[in-house]
Amino acid sequence: MSNDLIIKQLRVRIGEKEILKGVDLTVQQGTIHAIMGPNGSGKSTLAYSIAGHPGYEVTDGEIWYKGQNVLELDVDERSKLGLFLAFQYPVSIPGLTVNNFLRSAINAHRAEEGKDPKETAMSVAEFRKLLREHMRQLEMSEDFARRYLNDGFSGGEKKRLEILQMAMLKPSMAVMDETDSGLDIDALKIVANGVNALMNPGMGVLVITHYQRLLNYIKPDVVSIMMEGRVVRSGGPELALALEEKGYDWIREEVTTHA
Amino acid sequence: MPDTLFRSTNGLPGLGALGADDISAMSQSAGEPGWLTEQRLAAWTFFAQALPPVWRRTDLTQLQPETIAPLSGIQGTSILADDAVTRQGVVMMPLLAATKSHEALVRQYLGKAIDPMSHKFSALRAALWQDGMLLYVPRGVEVAAPLRVTYQLADGSRAIFPYSLVILEAHAQLNLIEEYTSPDLDQPALAGPTTEIFVGPGSHIRYASVQTWGQGIHHLGSQMIVLDRDAAGEWVSLSLGGKVQHIEAESRMQGDGSAINWLGATFANQQQHLLTAPWLRHIGSNTNSLMDFKTVVSGEGYSVFDGMIKIEHESRATSTRLEEHAIHLTPKARSDSIPGLKIDTNDVAKAGHASTSGQIEDEHLFYMQSRGMSQEEARRLIVMGFFDPALQALPADDLRERLTALIEAKI
Repeated sequence: MSNDLIIKQLRVRIGEKEILKGVDLTVQQGTIHAIMGPNGSGKSTLAYSIAGHPGYEVTDGEIWYKGQNVLELDVDERSKLGLFLAFQYPVSIPGLTVNNFLRSAINAHRAEEGKDPKETAMSVAEFRKLLREHMRQLEMSEDFARRYLNDGFSGGEKKRLEILQMAMLKPSMAVMDETDSGLDIDALKIVANGVNALMNPGMGVLVITHYQRLLNYIKPDVVSIMMEGRVVRSGGPELALALEEKGYDWIREEVTTHA
Repeated sequence: MPDTLFRSTNGLPGLGALGADDISAMSQSAGEPGWLTEQRLAAWTFFAQALPPVWRRTDLTQLQPETIAPLSGIQGTSILADDAVTRQGVVMMPLLAATKSHEALVRQYLGKAIDPMSHKFSALRAALWQDGMLLYVPRGVEVAAPLRVTYQLADGSRAIFPYSLVILEAHAQLNLIEEYTSPDLDQPALAGPTTEIFVGPGSHIRYASVQTWGQGIHHLGSQMIVLDRDAAGEWVSLSLGGKVQHIEAESRMQGDGSAINWLGATFANQQQHLLTAPWLRHIGSNTNSLMDFKTVVSGEGYSVFDGMIKIEHESRATSTRLEEHAIHLTPKARSDSIPGLKIDTNDVAKAGHASTSGQIEDEHLFYMQSRGMSQEEARRLIVMGFFDPALQALPADDLRERLTALIEAKI
């Protein structure tokens, strides 16, 4: 059984339009893997497809994680398997407090078949302690937990909440979809520190970003480049720096030339 | 007190067979003051002659008056007073008894907010009320802990017309929970509650009106809060039970500087038809109102929000906002929203309304499921969140817990 996230020849369409045209990608356990690419290259579609968004139709290919065919799992089962998606645009749900949302998520993860959910649920005291610790680390004030989910949150608060959820749920494979968008440099550092603190040898992270900036704070082991629905190039961190310097055009040229 | 007629049936003859003589006999045998007997008779005469109001969205075809007998005497009133507040001069007692012990007070206020001759059913209520409560708060007395009155109905084929008369003198405070509750009934039954609340100058009321009737009950009710100068109200209305509901409700900002904050939650499932017609009526100047009603429908449930902001011509610098939002959980569930705005003055500070309805958004479900929750759990949380402002506004933990459980069972 592999704890790598393995994606093979993944083809995905939205409605009639094919967005992913055969993506091959492996995110190894214990590594941070960055995906970069121009707008419209299919980065976010890849993230949503891994999480199982019903609006994205997988027409071909495979996703494997922990020996399971991920494409056969429901959205919530993927989460329980250890997959996590930090959303680029988290939804707001007025009336539902961050506190209640997080407790339900945690208890959903702790639930076991054939057992009373009350038996497996985390105690209120333990939950509060855990929540307070993680909120402190992300420099969030205590009243944050009593606010309604993303309701009236600033861009930075929304992203921090995504990382807070990640910290609470402790996924073994996290996909971060443009977590840096809309963050100022201070918020970016806090978010990056949060991710780095969670990183461990059993965990893999797939960081999707448009800019090299984030990768100064979350250091990738591998950088892959997506274009037009495919992964066209993989390399080390130096690849991200080259992109920053030269833009995407040289890669586009190379890919076209070799195709 | 009840004579043989009432003892034999635990109620009056069926509504179809009832006559003015019965009303008169009932009132006199109970030793009611003459003015009350006259009021009842006048209301009864109006009821007998008036055509039913045209309520296009309230289906009364299953209500057969001849099979329903009004209860006589106090049958379903449960009043939870508090010794500490009665020592401060607060009066909380059955209204029928108060017509004797506090006759002048009752006579001064009864029927002064809600006109018995508004329509056929308001007249019926005024003619036949037995259950009820007088709640009187003297000047300057502050009642912080909630006082509770509960109206119950135990059997089908019965009618109950509970009447709450609530009076706050100046600079007083009150916290009131009024509940309607029953088991599920096999036979149709009728509930016709009236609530009149008079809030004196500078006074403050928190009022929770909670309808959790069992199945089979037709609820045709009317509620009004009249706010004097600088008076303020926080009103939370919950409509969860019964077969058919038609509630006319009004916050009347009579005095300058008065204000109301009104939250509502309605959940119609199975074949329930629940209508609420809440009015914000601005008469005084510099009056403020905020209404936020939430509706959830599932199964074949149907709900109607027939809300209105009415700004009278003498009002100046009114500020008002009305919001109503509905969620449909099933394809067969329906809701109608008819928010209205009638302004008869040129001087308005702010007036607006917003209304939405639709299903739970797929993106919301996806987000929550991506955190490991089942779709069922996600829907439950979203609905409970939707009702959260109204539930949080309830002034008692036990009530909040009971209603939370009741709503969860309906999901």
